[in-house]
Amino acid sequence: MEHNRHLPGRLPRILLISSGKGDAANETALLPLLNHLPPALPCMVQIREKLLSAGELLTLAFDVSSSNLPKGTLLLINERLDIALLADLDGVHLPENAMPPDALRAVSKKLLIGCSVHSTLSATKAEKAGADYLLFGPVYDTPSKRPFGAPQGTAKLAELCRSTSLPVFAIGGITPANAAACIDAGAYGIGGISLFSNPVTLSATIEQCYRIINS
Amino acid sequence: MIPSSPFLCVITDEAFCPVTLARKALEGGALMIQLRNKSASGNQIYLWALEISRLCMLHGGLCIINDRIDIALASRADGVHLGQADIPAAAARKLLGKNRILGISASSPAEALQAEHDGADYIGVGHIYPTASKEKSTLPIGPETLASIAALVRIPIVAIGGISIANAGGMIRLGASGVAVISAVSRTESPAAATRTLLNAIGTMGEHPDD
Repeated sequence: MEHNRHLPGRLPRILLISSGKGDAANETALLPLLNHLPPALPCMVQIREKLLSAGELLTLAFDVSSSNLPKGTLLLINERLDIALLADLDGVHLPENAMPPDALRAVSKKLLIGCSVHSTLSATKAEKAGADYLLFGPVYDTPSKRPFGAPQGTAKLAELCRSTSLPVFAIGGITPANAAACIDAGAYGIGGISLFSNPVTLSATIEQCYRIINS
Repeated sequence: MIPSSPFLCVITDEAFCPVTLARKALEGGALMIQLRNKSASGNQIYLWALEISRLCMLHGGLCIINDRIDIALASRADGVHLGQADIPAAAARKLLGKNRILGISASSPAEALQAEHDGADYIGVGHIYPTASKEKSTLPIGPETLASIAALVRIPIVAIGGISIANAGGMIRLGASGVAVISAVSRTESPAAATRTLLNAIGTMGEHPDD
């Protein structure tokens, strides 16, 4: 069960987040999707399935962590440090209203901890509390986040990236066409739900995003 | 440690502030508070757990967190209570170690035996009677099932579901070590007084230092 903490500077620069549409009756699309990850380009994979019970989440987490994933893949789950420890995942991702990172770190030193942030204020707070990376968005317009107001834009992303020494993943309406602007704004990597949801194009999309990030 | 004499577990009600409710229940003599909230954010439950743990320490009660082992560990609560759809008991025990309390809900002898085998410290058995506190898709198991589970397992049983002043004493006579309530305490004018009355019904009135 022993992992070493992964140095933030060496995190993969693509963050694939599950759709959250899986429930008890309709199994998550995450497992079959992960079969299509490109073997040579490691990604972070965030299990985010709000409709599942803790028991179902644990089963899913076990299934994901025991599946044959590309070398260097990092597995995270939303909030549930208990499930991360039991299924030997690499870390947890914390929404802004989750427990603070230092509370989790007191329970487990080895887990990677990411934090969703929506402002430079919460980025500073997360960094002080020991987060390993940040997820900022929505940068662009995305249907799922419309109820929460207008997208933040690349100027806000740039401001946030300047305010922290942590790697920042940009999320929200990102496509291969606008990903370069996020990297130019200082983002370390690209996160996505729908961007990385199509099994047919997943591998090509990740390759394309890595070309943009590395160019 | 699970109390040795008949005890009351008060489960928080989402309609009320859980910290206020816990304080009143502890003042009334409840020895176990279960923080149960399915809709609040993780941080909110964590903050409540810290506060209720502190109150429990002050009053000599136990703070048990429903479902969220992560929050129980981070808040250093006394233990967790898990339903059949939550993290399985054997896995939970690995995370909790020997010293934290593990309670498991069971509604059949098979579930109760499994929970005992998997390392539970107590079993929440129910729901015994019809209850409006939680949406239930199954029928009440009745006092007969409680008695048959009590005859099968060695670990303490906490009877839950439709427990009132009228039937609480009967649960203890059928083999339960304690009873758990939500609305019988929360939906009363004085949760502390309701707690005392329930303790009286299960025969432990006057044994608590707060009385």
